[in-house]
Amino acid sequence: MSWIDVSCILAVFLALSLLATHRIVGMIKIFALQSFFLSLVPLFMSAGAISGRTLTLSLVTMAFKAVLAPSILFWTIRHISMRSEVKPILGFGTSILCGSVLIAVAFWISLSLRLPGKLVPSLILPCSLATMLLGFMTMVTRTRAITQVLGYMVIENGIFLFALSLLDAMPVFIEMGILLDIFVAVFVMAIVLNHINEEFERTRGSSSRPKWGESN
Amino acid sequence: MGALVVWLPAKAMFRLWLLWAMSLGHALVVASFWLRRPVPEWQGYLVLDPLGLILLSVVSLLFLFVSFFMIGYFQHEHSGNRTFTSCLFCLLSMMTLVSVSYHMGLLWVAIETTTLFSAPLISFHRNWETLEATWKYLLVCSVGIALALMGTFFLAIAAHDAHTLLLPAILNGASSLSLNWLKLSVIFLFVGYGCKMGLAPMHSWKPKAYGHATGMVTVLMAGGLTQCSFLALIRVSQICYKSGLSDFYASILIFTGILSLVVPAIFLLGEKNIKRSFAFSSVEHMGLLVLGLGLGGVGIFGALFHMINNALAKVVMFLTAGSMAQKYGSSNAHEVRGVIHIYPVTCVFLLLGLLAGTGMFPFATFHSELLIINAAIITKHYTLAGIIILCLAVIFIGIARLVLEFVYGKPTEPVLAKKENLFINITIASAAVMLLVLGLWMPAPLNRVLHEAVALIGA
Repeated sequence: MSWIDVSCILAVFLALSLLATHRIVGMIKIFALQSFFLSLVPLFMSAGAISGRTLTLSLVTMAFKAVLAPSILFWTIRHISMRSEVKPILGFGTSILCGSVLIAVAFWISLSLRLPGKLVPSLILPCSLATMLLGFMTMVTRTRAITQVLGYMVIENGIFLFALSLLDAMPVFIEMGILLDIFVAVFVMAIVLNHINEEFERTRGSSSRPKWGESN
Repeated sequence: MGALVVWLPAKAMFRLWLLWAMSLGHALVVASFWLRRPVPEWQGYLVLDPLGLILLSVVSLLFLFVSFFMIGYFQHEHSGNRTFTSCLFCLLSMMTLVSVSYHMGLLWVAIETTTLFSAPLISFHRNWETLEATWKYLLVCSVGIALALMGTFFLAIAAHDAHTLLLPAILNGASSLSLNWLKLSVIFLFVGYGCKMGLAPMHSWKPKAYGHATGMVTVLMAGGLTQCSFLALIRVSQICYKSGLSDFYASILIFTGILSLVVPAIFLLGEKNIKRSFAFSSVEHMGLLVLGLGLGGVGIFGALFHMINNALAKVVMFLTAGSMAQKYGSSNAHEVRGVIHIYPVTCVFLLLGLLAGTGMFPFATFHSELLIINAAIITKHYTLAGIIILCLAVIFIGIARLVLEFVYGKPTEPVLAKKENLFINITIASAAVMLLVLGLWMPAPLNRVLHEAVALIGA
């Protein structure tokens, strides 16, 4: 079993444990860990000699996804002073059960998809699909805005994992563009969250606020 | 081409006149492209083909209108415009990038970035409604765009022989694409970019975002951003045509197009807010674009022509609604009524917007909608043509009912009786005149470029 497969399986497990975590700080930590493992995958893929390109990709991914994005999220929750439990629509047991069904579905789908040519047949495809589906599930079943952002990030991680299997088709600057975009997306979302919180503080108690307070 | 790159570092310039001057400069550069097409840059990553030229001209025109309108708008506005204008600059450069990018990955990056820069624009008036709208827009579009990214990767797998996602390389090797992966990729790309475009099942962000953003922003979104995504869908259809999947793609396009006509027709009948109703009208126009693309032949010509007309009609509709909302502080039917007694000029524009937006003769929208219906009849989709006409009629009734209530209803006093603004009126009037002229006379260069663009799509 190669290191790539180990990282892929870890990514899926972490996505699943994200579903089972109820503290937001814990969720962000799990997400950071997942991103860290994913950023190692390009290094494992180039067997033997590590080219400068894979090294850059791996380091930049690590910087953006495992360090910067989680710290922005930490900054956000510190600002809006929220540590509280997340109220999921589904209970934790049920979500784990659904999550494992989703993983099974992902593996079943990827059985019927055959990668053409000399692309590495490994666990990358089913694991990336599973991570994406779990991310969607996190997004749908959690009601807080910040957990939705986390779900979105998990989806992006799944897509990133998939993208790694076709390193040769994309030039580096496009990859960097994609990474930067995702990072900025989280940044913008954090800012909007902050604005929402300020507005919430300002209009607290007044009747003008619509019944859409779940994001705090 | 080098001139386009100059826009990239532009930021933090918060003078409206500067924005206007930049838009004018941009428009002049684009106009020069009509005379002489620039050569490909960056090893073929940036190419301006007729399709891109149409979009680029539309975007440039929109920015010209909007920046002129803003000079008038901000005379009555007290909130700062620093972030607003710098976001507009970035948006302009990114939309330019969308229209010239010839690499599917780069196209994705550009479209995603437009989403991010337009989000702060929606929440310009920072209150609950706009923030909620921004959040909804960001989340729905980001997830949609993530799906499009997945589709782009599937495309890369399908085209793994070519080792690149440059459009010409994919088109040349189209026969060797792996069809299963391509189908998967087409579905993902369609859902992703369709989400950004606001096609019917994925349109849920639209009424909220358009309803609460200011008029200028909605114009740029309805006329510019959505059509940027439409360009992406056109690129997909180029690939599908070359690889023999056009029937598969056309069936998706036609189904969604019809849905995007039926849904607004239903929702418009009960709508009370003029901006929201215009948002549904935007869903309808996106549906028409997609339908034209799906029907092929003369429909594609109609769709491309409709891109220009739709943008101009949106200028008239949303800028009028925006200036009215600024005067009254609301755009709900029960708070704004009898505008004709207080602002006769605005009212004329509102009526013009009604006619232009619903595709009435002699406006150019009538022309392009007719072409699309024509395409349905030529390809023997008679029921389809019937449904289109029915939906258009219902939508006309829905919007007309609301607009007429605004215009002729029992008057309410505006909160602050502001005067009509010259800048605002000139902008809207010139857009209406352009639409009128295009409806009566098609300039030869435009006709030529449209035909070249249709030839590029092929079907």
